[in-house]
Amino acid sequence: MKSNTFLSTTSLASFVAAGLIAGGASAAWAKDPVVADPDAKVEYSGTVSILTKFGLQQLSPFFVNVAKEYEKLHPGVKVELIQESDDSVKGKTKALVASNSLPDIYFTWTGSWGENFVRGNRAVDLTEVIGPNTAWGKELATAAVSAFQYNGKLFGIPLYLDAKFMGYSKPLFEKAGVSEPKSFDELLSACATLRKSGVTPISFGNKEGWPAVHYAGQLLAYNVPQATLEKDFKPATADYTDPGYIVSLTQFKQLIDECSDGAGTNGSSYASALQQFSNAKSAMYYQEIIEFDQSTADGALKREDFGYFKLPAPKDAKGDVKSIEGAPEGYMINAASKNIPLAIDFMKFATSAENGKILSAPPYGQPSATVGGYSADTMNPAVVGGLKIIADSSYLMPWLDTANPPRVAAAWLSGLQALIGGSQTPEQVMEQVKKAAASSK
Amino acid sequence: MKQDYKGEAAKAGFTLRGKADPDHAGMLATLLSLRWVFIAFVLILWFVYYPIIDNFVVSTKSQDIFTGETAFIGLDNYRRLQDDPIVWTAMLNNTLYAVISIIFQVFGAFVLAAIIEGLDNEKWRRFWRAVYFIPSAISITVTGLLFYFIYQPDIGLLDSALTQIGLENWSRAWLGEEQTAIYAIIAMSQWQGFGYSTLLFGIAIQKIPRELYDAAIMDGAGTWRRLWSITMPLTREMTALMVIVTITGAFQVFNEVMVMTAGGPNNSSQVLGTWLYQQGFIENDFGYGAAVASLIFVITLLTGFGQLWYTKRRRVHL
Repeated sequence: MKSNTFLSTTSLASFVAAGLIAGGASAAWAKDPVVADPDAKVEYSGTVSILTKFGLQQLSPFFVNVAKEYEKLHPGVKVELIQESDDSVKGKTKALVASNSLPDIYFTWTGSWGENFVRGNRAVDLTEVIGPNTAWGKELATAAVSAFQYNGKLFGIPLYLDAKFMGYSKPLFEKAGVSEPKSFDELLSACATLRKSGVTPISFGNKEGWPAVHYAGQLLAYNVPQATLEKDFKPATADYTDPGYIVSLTQFKQLIDECSDGAGTNGSSYASALQQFSNAKSAMYYQEIIEFDQSTADGALKREDFGYFKLPAPKDAKGDVKSIEGAPEGYMINAASKNIPLAIDFMKFATSAENGKILSAPPYGQPSATVGGYSADTMNPAVVGGLKIIADSSYLMPWLDTANPPRVAAAWLSGLQALIGGSQTPEQVMEQVKKAAASSK
Repeated sequence: MKQDYKGEAAKAGFTLRGKADPDHAGMLATLLSLRWVFIAFVLILWFVYYPIIDNFVVSTKSQDIFTGETAFIGLDNYRRLQDDPIVWTAMLNNTLYAVISIIFQVFGAFVLAAIIEGLDNEKWRRFWRAVYFIPSAISITVTGLLFYFIYQPDIGLLDSALTQIGLENWSRAWLGEEQTAIYAIIAMSQWQGFGYSTLLFGIAIQKIPRELYDAAIMDGAGTWRRLWSITMPLTREMTALMVIVTITGAFQVFNEVMVMTAGGPNNSSQVLGTWLYQQGFIENDFGYGAAVASLIFVITLLTGFGQLWYTKRRRVHL
């Protein structure tokens, strides 16, 4: 029995193994910064591996097809795909980092998430190959490339643009006699009218925690000046004292209580809420532009019945009312890759205008970050319209959970769940965030 | 088949000379016979004990997985454990898990097994064993997802059933409220694990000689008396084993919590396993995560030793 007790404790093996490797190994990644050479010759042989965030059934064929096409063009090359979902890619990436096993190319968000790779010399400095004056750089949206800029250098390859919008069902709005709200107060009164008509105004699932962070992020962009937000995202300068934070959280609580199922939403998943919206059980759903095609894929909601608007700004907002929450998402090249030129070449192929058009159109609906990488004729009109709103926005507010250090992000996630559940007030949530920020310095 | 170790020693190039040689050959043969034990010992050391020791080493360091920088911080992570309110929440949740699981999966399963094994008809005994065992054959991740839908607010099976019987005031977001989330997960776990324990107790009861029951019946002992005086003492070792397995299992619970609530809302359903994961893989703090892992190890180890000591003292020999 003694040995059984010992053996039973090894179920924590994966964690311990990752810890062991993190503590023990040290030679499998570049110690010094690695800079991409624009004149490097590409050897079309060997394997190039890539960790994507397209693990969902609907999205996974994109990279499968790109890999097939690339292998057809270069028969000596084999592309190895590791496809993860939005949730699983976070844990997978960290396990790969801890074991120094990052593939040649890996998915990244902007903000603090991407900065970690730069800080650890795990990303190739791509400035010389993707900068604004380079051939590749000219093919990509400059703002999207700049979103991956750290210490004045460019480290990321943007694949698509993303931002958050309120999607709505036109028939349910019409039935209730509600029009697109232009202000935060109008949104709240629309919710009351919709509820009277017998539907849930906004379907919301917050089991994962980050869906609440997306609402809060947009409200923070409206209520807190941009300079203050960016100061608070950095652990060294963060203090989270701006009164706009409390105002935003108060508005968020009001929105959840009046427009959704309130405290119960902590027990529903983001995907369940999307299903509820697609099946016409709710009138609105706060979603990313990259999900527009999913909302109208197989459910009761037809594409022509789908409407969208930016979360309306509250009156007297002290921040930037022309901002929108969102960011490009993209890829980095592993500084320890044995074939950096090949990895860069593969990403040039993946971000070509031709592949961009495929990515932007249904069933993927991921608006490409490549200039000329989309065609309005083949795309969902809602995605085309959403892209215009993104282009007109004055500031792209990054996702709170990737812009902040992990401990602060965790405080936002749990704090907002507590706020929704009623166990914490906005003031208590902010105290929790401040405490986490102080311990991250 | 008996192996000729002396022959093997000779084949290995050792010759027997003089009086002392047979003894030397015998010793060599013994050493050769231990080589497989040695290999197993090395494997166990490397894959079981070394990670446990190294986990303690990792817990004394502060690490940045991205830069690879590590710094020795002594017992700071263990001091942090004391001041971390979520660790206490997690410990309480694990303890609740253990206590409720012992009630249902040890004592409840024992009573049910005694009832099933007390049935006269073998066909019915087989039928009921199968009925109770089926949930245990389903993967815990699938069960977690199944119960996630059962617990859905309003549209879930549980809330719908409560509404149907006029108890709509009782319906709630079982996984979405801080007060109920952990209990909802524990309830699911009982549903899943109950049949397995019943099956094991059934096997233990089957091993008890029938004559003991026959003699007790002749002496006028009733059902409860037989259960108390024969079945319980003679299944004590199985009960002890089940208690150990249940407690260690309760302190290592992970999958069901991750699938159903991921530790939320507001960390109310965190258990030590999910908090360890959160620290390591979400907050990048592998040192602190290793300290949480050490805490789990110590708790399960002490539980195992304590239970073994208690059972040894009260063992019943036939």
